[in-house]
Amino acid sequence: MFAGPAFHPSQEIQAPIAPPCDVDDLAFDELYEGNLSLLVAIAVRKFQVPEVDAEALAHEVFLSYLKRKNEIRQLHPWLIGAICHACRYFWRQNGRRTDQLDQELAMLRPDPDSIAIFDLLPSQLAVREALDALSPRYAQILRMRYYEGYTIREIADYLGVTAKYTQKLVGKCLRMAEQMYNAAPARKKT
Amino acid sequence: MKHSDDLRHLADCPSCRKRFTENVVPFDSARRREGALKFAAAAARLESERGETADVVARQLRDTPQSEWPRLAESKALRNNAALEQLSDEVRKRLERNPTEALAIAEVAAAIAETLPASTYPPLVIAQIRSTALRDRANALRYLGRLDEAYDAIETAESRLSEFPAAVHDRAIIWLVKAMILAQMDHFDEAERMITAASVIFADVNDSARFLQAGVVHGNLLGRQKRYAEAENLFRDLLKIAVSSRDVETEARLHNNLGHCAVSAGDYAAANVHFSESIARFTDLGLRAEVPRTNLGAAQVLIGKHQIDAGLVRLEEARGSFVALKMFGEAGLCALRIIEVLIDRGDTARARALTGAVIDEFAAAGVDLRAVQAIELLQSTIDADGATAEAVRTVHEFVRPFAVDQAQAS
Repeated sequence: MFAGPAFHPSQEIQAPIAPPCDVDDLAFDELYEGNLSLLVAIAVRKFQVPEVDAEALAHEVFLSYLKRKNEIRQLHPWLIGAICHACRYFWRQNGRRTDQLDQELAMLRPDPDSIAIFDLLPSQLAVREALDALSPRYAQILRMRYYEGYTIREIADYLGVTAKYTQKLVGKCLRMAEQMYNAAPARKKT
Repeated sequence: MKHSDDLRHLADCPSCRKRFTENVVPFDSARRREGALKFAAAAARLESERGETADVVARQLRDTPQSEWPRLAESKALRNNAALEQLSDEVRKRLERNPTEALAIAEVAAAIAETLPASTYPPLVIAQIRSTALRDRANALRYLGRLDEAYDAIETAESRLSEFPAAVHDRAIIWLVKAMILAQMDHFDEAERMITAASVIFADVNDSARFLQAGVVHGNLLGRQKRYAEAENLFRDLLKIAVSSRDVETEARLHNNLGHCAVSAGDYAAANVHFSESIARFTDLGLRAEVPRTNLGAAQVLIGKHQIDAGLVRLEEARGSFVALKMFGEAGLCALRIIEVLIDRGDTARARALTGAVIDEFAAAGVDLRAVQAIELLQSTIDADGATAEAVRTVHEFVRPFAVDQAQAS
């Protein structure tokens, strides 16, 4: 008996069957001006791409759109999907470009963070424990403020709230962290 | 809310997009304006070329003998993005029915794309143009079974984009073609990795057609590895998407594939339902040639599973439909499958009669003389000693390239 066939193949690659989104009526510079900030914001805030690189990536997303515009059905999902994957690719490339650490140099010049490691370690562990006990949102706010050095204004921008409210929020997060840390079962006994 | 959900929400909600954007630190407005101008200039150029080029490629291909196509690479009218887009369409149209011609056109496109001055368009657009031409060439080579060359071509196509993180969609399409090449080379793991990566991007940029296509390719890949249960799950998921996006043609193909999965699981009742659903949809769409093709595929699987009577019924239905569509090449191939079964069953009289019918049909349809002679030889072998199923299969393989009908239903 002859062998059974393979599955039905898919059609050859072609443009999507649904009609493209109607961008002909939009002036191209309006399209660019109207969406560039969004793409840069995504690259900077969601993927921590440096601002100048984020702008370049966003610009290229628009250029790549020009070749595919007739097959794009919905503009915003396409732009957002494209900038997200562009950022990921950017970091993959950027990661590869990082120079390898010179081992001999490393021996001569130890990491300043590890010089007083035995003094700092207990408090670092305590902080980590406190952060782990908080809700992800509160933990993130404290990390931004005390690990990453964001100003109150910057955190407020990130959260989309006022600086005054952010100041209160940071205070609340600190109190919460203290309570959670003290309430841990091991410390209750001591 | 998860990170991805958050972004998805941004895509749908204008007010959240506005608020999200307002929070970013504003950047150099002069630089931003310069970027907008560059973008608008590139857009205007591409659009005006598309408007001016009309059907230049179809005309030049029609008016130039195929042997002289390579010199079209020097034609000034074809040395722009719009003409290259048309060349790409011409390649695609020919892939199934005439891959040699498709390759010849892809070679012209690649020659043009690779020699376009770098200053013609922004660097990213140049990279997209070159990678598309090379991708088409790789695809044509794949259809011709020249897989090593196809792989080299697709690698080069991918490398053209490597400096451009934003060429996301182009890169995903290249990964899809690369996955198909790797699958044909039996490098299943690597193909699966590629296809998964491409699918994620197609989903994220909302390209549901290519997402479905990648899924079907993935399912076929699983099927080839006999991972039928996984393939079936995947096809079922894809079917829901095809239904919701009203992609009836893909629905038809998926039902066909689910039919094959059901046969592999021994569930012939479910298989019949799926094959019937597939045929009904192809019929609704007017893709009449796909109906007998589906029947032919179903028949072969059924016979492979020793469901001979059910298989034979479908083979005869398929042959009848091909004849009605005057697709005598494929009708003949179908007949050879029937002859194979008949000889296996010892029914040489009917097998001989059918070879006579095929000879007449091939001769009348002007199928290559070598194919007619092969069937005549088979007939005399049946007369002499009844022939064997193996001999029929050999004839089928020989005749196939001559007999595949040029007429495509779609």
